[in-house]
Amino acid sequence: MRVSTSTIFDTNVSMLNQQQTALLHTNQQVASGRRMLTPADDPAASANALQIMQADATNTQYATNRNTAKSSIGLAEAVLQNVTNLLSDVKTSAVQAGNGALSNNDKQTIATELQGRLDQLIALANTSDGTGNYLFSGYQGKTIPFVNTSTGIQYMADDGQRMIQVSSSRQMAGSESGADIFTRIKNGNGKFVTEAPIDPATLLPTNVGNASITQGAVTGAVNIANLPLTISFADPATYSITDVNGNAVIDSNGIDLSNVNYISGQAITLPGMVFSISGTPAAGDSFSVKPSSNEGIFKTMTDLIQALNTATPAQLTTSLGKAMSGLDRGLDSVLTARASLGARLNELDTLQTTGEDLGLQFKQTLSTLQDLDYNKAISDLNRQTTSLQAAQKSFKQISDLSLFNYM
Amino acid sequence: MASSSLLTIGVSALNAAQMGLQTAGHNIANANTPGFNRQEVLVGTRPALYTGAGYMGQGVEVNTVRRVYSQFLNGQVLSEQGQAAMLNTYYAQIQEINNVIADPNAGISPAIQDFFGAINNVAGAPESQPARQAMLNSANAMTARFQSLGQRFTDIYSSVNLQISNSVSLVNSYSQQIAALNKNIVAQQSANSQTPNDLLDQRDQLVAQLNTEIKTSVVKQNDGSYNIFVGNGQSLVVGTNVFSLDIVQSPTDPSKQDVVYTDMSGAQTTIQQSSLQGGNLGGFLTFRETTLTTSQNALGRVAMGIAGLVNEQHQLGQDLNGSMGGSFFTQPTPTVYANTKNSIPGTIIKASINNPADYASLTGSDYTLKYNGANFTLTRLFDNTVTTLIPGAPDANGVIQLSPAVDGLSLTATEGAIPGTVGAVIGDNFTIRPTVDASSTISVNITDPAKIAVGMPIRAKTAPNPDPNLGSGKISSVSVQGFTSSSVNGTLLASGQPDTTPSPAIIRFSGAPGTPASSFDVIDSTTQLPVVDPVLGVLQGLAFPPGVDININGWTTSLSGTPNPGDAYTFGPNINAVAGNTGIANFTSPVMAPVTLTYTLDPATNIGTFSGFPANLPVTLTDKGISTTFAAGAPVTYIPGATLSFGGVNVSIAGTPANNDTFTIEPNVNATSDSRNALLMANLQTKNTLGAPANGRAATMTFQGAYAQWVSDVGNKTRELQVTSTAQTAMAAQTVATQQSFSGVNLDEEAANLMRYQRAYQAAGKALQIGNSLFDTILSLGR
Repeated sequence: MRVSTSTIFDTNVSMLNQQQTALLHTNQQVASGRRMLTPADDPAASANALQIMQADATNTQYATNRNTAKSSIGLAEAVLQNVTNLLSDVKTSAVQAGNGALSNNDKQTIATELQGRLDQLIALANTSDGTGNYLFSGYQGKTIPFVNTSTGIQYMADDGQRMIQVSSSRQMAGSESGADIFTRIKNGNGKFVTEAPIDPATLLPTNVGNASITQGAVTGAVNIANLPLTISFADPATYSITDVNGNAVIDSNGIDLSNVNYISGQAITLPGMVFSISGTPAAGDSFSVKPSSNEGIFKTMTDLIQALNTATPAQLTTSLGKAMSGLDRGLDSVLTARASLGARLNELDTLQTTGEDLGLQFKQTLSTLQDLDYNKAISDLNRQTTSLQAAQKSFKQISDLSLFNYM
Repeated sequence: MASSSLLTIGVSALNAAQMGLQTAGHNIANANTPGFNRQEVLVGTRPALYTGAGYMGQGVEVNTVRRVYSQFLNGQVLSEQGQAAMLNTYYAQIQEINNVIADPNAGISPAIQDFFGAINNVAGAPESQPARQAMLNSANAMTARFQSLGQRFTDIYSSVNLQISNSVSLVNSYSQQIAALNKNIVAQQSANSQTPNDLLDQRDQLVAQLNTEIKTSVVKQNDGSYNIFVGNGQSLVVGTNVFSLDIVQSPTDPSKQDVVYTDMSGAQTTIQQSSLQGGNLGGFLTFRETTLTTSQNALGRVAMGIAGLVNEQHQLGQDLNGSMGGSFFTQPTPTVYANTKNSIPGTIIKASINNPADYASLTGSDYTLKYNGANFTLTRLFDNTVTTLIPGAPDANGVIQLSPAVDGLSLTATEGAIPGTVGAVIGDNFTIRPTVDASSTISVNITDPAKIAVGMPIRAKTAPNPDPNLGSGKISSVSVQGFTSSSVNGTLLASGQPDTTPSPAIIRFSGAPGTPASSFDVIDSTTQLPVVDPVLGVLQGLAFPPGVDININGWTTSLSGTPNPGDAYTFGPNINAVAGNTGIANFTSPVMAPVTLTYTLDPATNIGTFSGFPANLPVTLTDKGISTTFAAGAPVTYIPGATLSFGGVNVSIAGTPANNDTFTIEPNVNATSDSRNALLMANLQTKNTLGAPANGRAATMTFQGAYAQWVSDVGNKTRELQVTSTAQTAMAAQTVATQQSFSGVNLDEEAANLMRYQRAYQAAGKALQIGNSLFDTILSLGR
């Protein structure tokens, strides 16, 4: 076959161009460390890399969010730990106040001490973080949550929980509502509460005898519509129980509870509930069984201080009993909140580990997709250099061949 | 006699050898001339002389000098080179885009990530001014990135337009030169019946050059001239006549330049890209119509989606000042061009995207809308799907809805001179490019960090100490879901669920023309019935200004200002003026009227219900994905954890409430630490929001996913072109090599020819010498 002279040159030039282009590409890969210089080098991988970069970026963002959550939850937890200690101290003081040998002065001293504790508790509940946001005020970070008003200590904020995105599928509350921890505490056993009547003016019990009623337990469905029940003693040996409409209550054994003989400590079993009364009632004394309602920890403490200041020893026993159960429930509420916060901190740790693993995974995948295999690239570079040199040399040789050299 | 004939023969041989030498020299001289075909001397014996001894040869004669030319091989070179030119041009152009998105750390995607990261940081510290400012900064950085990429595309677009124009000039210039050569060739060929080889070479070279610009078909005439056709058979050169191509602004799209052909009568026809599949021009047009347009649209779709969906969510939130959030981004709007040749000029068509689900339906395609006298036909250019749109009745402002909405686009037309009909005549058409300008027009609308709506406008009310509720029921979440509405659309979604997308109420002002409005109505946009205010009653024909706050579907606002009759506003958590308003009404940011729900437990059935919802709003209860709608005013069954929706508000109550327990939803005042709305905005990053396979179907892509898909599309196309253009170039090189192996000059061959003809010349000289000496011998005999 004929070969035209210009074809020899054209072909060689285009071959050299191609080789140089390939060499430059490898050279750029080596210089940049990137396998893909443009998306065209591997379209699927570059799209994939973009997706993974976003996943990696959000994962990193969630780690930042977790730190935010950790610090705010940690702060709340620390405050509630102090609250726990404080409530334990208050309980000790309350137990101490039950000592019959205490003089009125001693009781007043305890009352003063408890007042200090109450102030301290309010201060703790009103703790703010480093940037001036109150920890327990829901969405209203700048609103002081607990304020002492003429009608007692009131919650001024809301129930909002400050949510934080801590992983792709988990929003975590970074705060707790102060109302949930300190004020929304059901009294009694959560379903109903047994009480001796209280004089609304003095806040002191009105019963004369020393009989007391147990907190009671829930044994089945309680018909709240029938509450409150009134247990009244016509004389120290007989009692009657009537429901909210004044009708006599029938107990679980089908006995009509009007003018029943009183036996101290005997269980009274009503549909869904059981409680007992012990001690010696006076004629006209009464007890009530009401649906549980919310009683804040501040109210419990205020009532206790009031009782210590003014109650007679008999009244004080009832008040102390009530206060002790209130403090227990308050402590329960705080501990529940702490348990919830602690669980969240634990979860954050787990999420952190998962997030780090995930981040490592993303980085590895990204590296596989994007990064250059230097061994291969350098070997390519050498091969391409050698073949370019060979092509140049052979071009030189071929172009030197001419019949004209011999004419 | 014999010696003289030897002399004659010798001279003929000398001549032939000399011509051979000349031709070899000519070939050597033109070895590098583009388009040169090697020439060869065709020789033959002279007619023999009859003698008694038979026919005596009379030497050699040169018949002609012929170019070694194969029409078949040349035709192949033309077609392969034209194809290669197109692919190389397309490849060169697409590389511009490919390079723009080359570095994954420099494209749009890190900017998007930074923006959403900043939202997350705000969600972590809602009241922090620095975090809010950082969010604004990263939003600005992101929109700047979109804009600069959009600008880059616009630049590429203009540069392509310019190159198309250059290419067309070249085509016209080549056509003229070919026509001139046609004239010369015909003249010379008819004058001396020999072919003018070098002129033919020149013309073929021009045809080759023309063919790298535009795909042509060449028909050779009997008189030796070429007729050249392009496109669908439009003649570019006929003998000595030239028809030119021109560039004009496209009637359907002012940013586009069309290639038009002017025929003998002066009529212009646009040459479609589809009929120009070859040459540089074909490459430029294909690049412009496919990759470049798709890229602008794809990037625009991401920009439009981010702006639209972040805005929708932002508007449902509450800023630090306690007002409802406005638009966070300036919302890019679909671009509509009226064909400049329409009988009724002006853009009477408006396209808009009305609710979040519609962003998912955006396709990234362009559309044409054509009026057929009664209806419109909408053609999706991407796959030529045709939908018939039926105009409805005009509203008070003369706006006619075209239904159904297609691919997320709601189209409206303006009423024409004939009342009740659209202002168009048969054949009028419009080009709709929904997302083309979005990346250039997106920007941040907010400058005050306090105006970022990070919180939600409502919350569950917490009673001060103690909470009087006896049960353990608690509002577990409240949120604003959408615009207020007093109705539920009757339509079903693809999932079989009723469409509960709330639609806004419309406030319309009326009064004597030429004076400020004196009264107003509030109308539900779905039912077209007046809205009922719990205090003011039916909101129809009320005196303006009302003097008291009006309550529209549970949201209150105070109304003032000087609107004119005919002005209208849409009322949602945000109040927006309807286009065409001439006066200005002022509204205070809507505040939700507190709602108190009371729980009633029926002792007989033990079934609990809620009552106390706003009187005129139906309530939708959604439990585990199943929705039930309760008529306005009817008690709603309590299911723990189920979502109750009314007037765009979602409430979820969990736990065991006791009889008569109450739950209040109230305006979220002073909520500096509420970040619920920021979380919802941040979640848009990882939520599938774009790329629904069909209207009403679930979205399949995140913003980043849509961007990545586009990057992958460009990468794939570039790679494909890289391969095909390399292959085509190699193919073209191969056909050129074949053609050259036939027609090209080989210098060694010419060297051999030189030697051959030199020898022949020497031999002929020798023959002359001998002839001469023979003659001398005869002459010496006479001495």
